[in-house]
Amino acid sequence: MAAGLHSTRFYALLKREFQRYVRRPWNTFLPPMITNVLYFSVFGVILGARIEEIQGFSYILFLLPGLVVLGAISNAFENASFSIFHGRWNKYIHETLTSPLSYTEMVLAYVLSSASRGVIVGVIIAIIGALFTPVGIAQPFYLVAFMLVVTLLFASLGIVGGLVADDFDHLTVMNQFILRPLVFFGGVFYSLEILPPLWRTVSLLNPMVYMVNGVRYGFLGYSDVDPNAALAVLSGLTVAVVVIDVVLFARGYGLTD
Amino acid sequence: MTLAIEATDLVKEYGDVRALSGLSLAVERGEFFGLLGPNGAGKTTFINTLVGLVRKTGGEVRVFGDDVEDDYRKVRNSIGLAPQEFNVDRFFPIREVLMHKAGYHGVSEAEAKRRADEALELVGIYDKRHTRFDWLSGGMKRRLLLARAIVTDPDLLILDEPTAGVDVQLRHDLWEIINRLNDEGTTILLTTHYIEEAERLCDRVAIMDNGRKVTVATPEELMERGSDTITVELRDPPASAPRLDGAVTEIEDVRLEHDRLVVRVEGGGGRVAPRLLNALEDRGHEITDIEISRTSLEEIFVELTEGQRGEVERDGPERDTLEAY
Ligand SMILES: Nc1ncnc2c1ncn2[C@@H]1O[C@H](COP(=O)(O)OP(=O)(O)OP(=O)(O)O)[C@@H](O)[C@H]1O
Ligand SMILES: [Mg+2]
Repeated sequence: MAAGLHSTRFYALLKREFQRYVRRPWNTFLPPMITNVLYFSVFGVILGARIEEIQGFSYILFLLPGLVVLGAISNAFENASFSIFHGRWNKYIHETLTSPLSYTEMVLAYVLSSASRGVIVGVIIAIIGALFTPVGIAQPFYLVAFMLVVTLLFASLGIVGGLVADDFDHLTVMNQFILRPLVFFGGVFYSLEILPPLWRTVSLLNPMVYMVNGVRYGFLGYSDVDPNAALAVLSGLTVAVVVIDVVLFARGYGLTD
Repeated sequence: MTLAIEATDLVKEYGDVRALSGLSLAVERGEFFGLLGPNGAGKTTFINTLVGLVRKTGGEVRVFGDDVEDDYRKVRNSIGLAPQEFNVDRFFPIREVLMHKAGYHGVSEAEAKRRADEALELVGIYDKRHTRFDWLSGGMKRRLLLARAIVTDPDLLILDEPTAGVDVQLRHDLWEIINRLNDEGTTILLTTHYIEEAERLCDRVAIMDNGRKVTVATPEELMERGSDTITVELRDPPASAPRLDGAVTEIEDVRLEHDRLVVRVEGGGGRVAPRLLNALEDRGHEITDIEISRTSLEEIFVELTEGQRGEVERDGPERDTLEAY
């Protein structure tokens, strides 16, 4: 089993990574809770009352899936990039690097644990949203599938981020200048239908559009794009990024001198 | 029998810096092997190539016959490393840190817990098991590094300056622990700047300088290579040092210090002394006292590493100054 999974080794790292964030709920779960209470109050309740229904849904209901995606992917990304970067910075990632884990095992442990944080935060945000407005789940399969694939994708991108960063500031930059704009123009706050045709087409190049619409389809049964195509493309992308992670680990990029 | 470590023409370049330039070294299974050399000699770089923290630029290294890159998992499984720099997980109490490390090596959780406690007790910080690394004292941190290195029950234990900055008590504790592990069959690679430590513990030592091996020998052999000093007290000291090199071939240098003649000789002073005394008496000097002092390993070390520098810079302007010493 040259590149396969050895359960004890792999679970040891997976568990360590999982416990790292679960044991610090004030740092990991409280901030997104506060932020999303604010989002739902201001955008959903106060502004939402003055915004027309979108595709037959109240604005706050339309907003909810977008906020779930936003919280889930940024937490998945942040967890992976922070864990890798912090470990490099303080050199304790050597504990894993000098162990007989395969590079695939290392990457999968970091990716799965970070994705799990994204999913947990997503669930928390959905619950907060449900306190503001009743929400059902129209397409459970799609909801689960999209939540898994978007958190896995951003967890694996977070690994790349954690490996290329040379400084804590780089992590902030990635979040502020790449993640945020993609999310804000990704249809979290509006439907593509309200855009002029040119911008609607341009928006379709933004991968975030497919994630937000996929999760929205799961909750509301409505999507601006074809959910099956979106799921296929995002899954392909996730596999590709995970492969890149493994290659970077195997080459020791950012990890070895 | 396969060697514990076998390096052949190992090269590591960091940009312009050549940290290892053609290092070849063999460490036998079960051996207690010392790696000595001045700061920047390449000791840590060499160690890090074994565990995958440094990518070699060229050459080959095997650990128990396995290539460090092709069979990286087997190699890493067999090594326990207590590094020079602290690199311990800060998120977890130290007992869990040890359990994690054992887990990464495929040890089940129950067994990992048992081993973690055992290792902490062995190095004497079991009381601190619920503490995080940052809250340990400097010496306790060193102890933890050793505990983490042995918790995976390695066949090759590598200690990169384990006694740097620790008190005498801890140093002796560490010596005892690693000596016992060595007796039980663990191969040990130790780097240190305390020559006395190498002399006391190691079966063989390699002296490195400028990324290369200068020599490999037992501590005793190294001592033989040094020059001893014979100090002779004369009743009527002459005005200048008598010329004795014709009479005793081992003589390297003769100096007159007040009423004493200080003679540096190659090899063991005990063998040379009788002939030296005869030669002096032949020349009419009366001897009142004699003292032979052996060179310390430390002096030999300095000689060897400086000599190497001289060789590297053979054509450089420093040549004359170096030879004047
Ligand atoms: N990451 C690095 N990047 C660039 N140069 C490095 C790096 N690590 C080590 N070096 C250089 O490589 C050479 C060997 O360093 P190394 O740490 O192996 O020496 P050492 O023998 O362990 O020294 P010491 O006794 O001080 O620990 C030095 O010139 C050092 O500056
Ligand atoms: Mg060093």
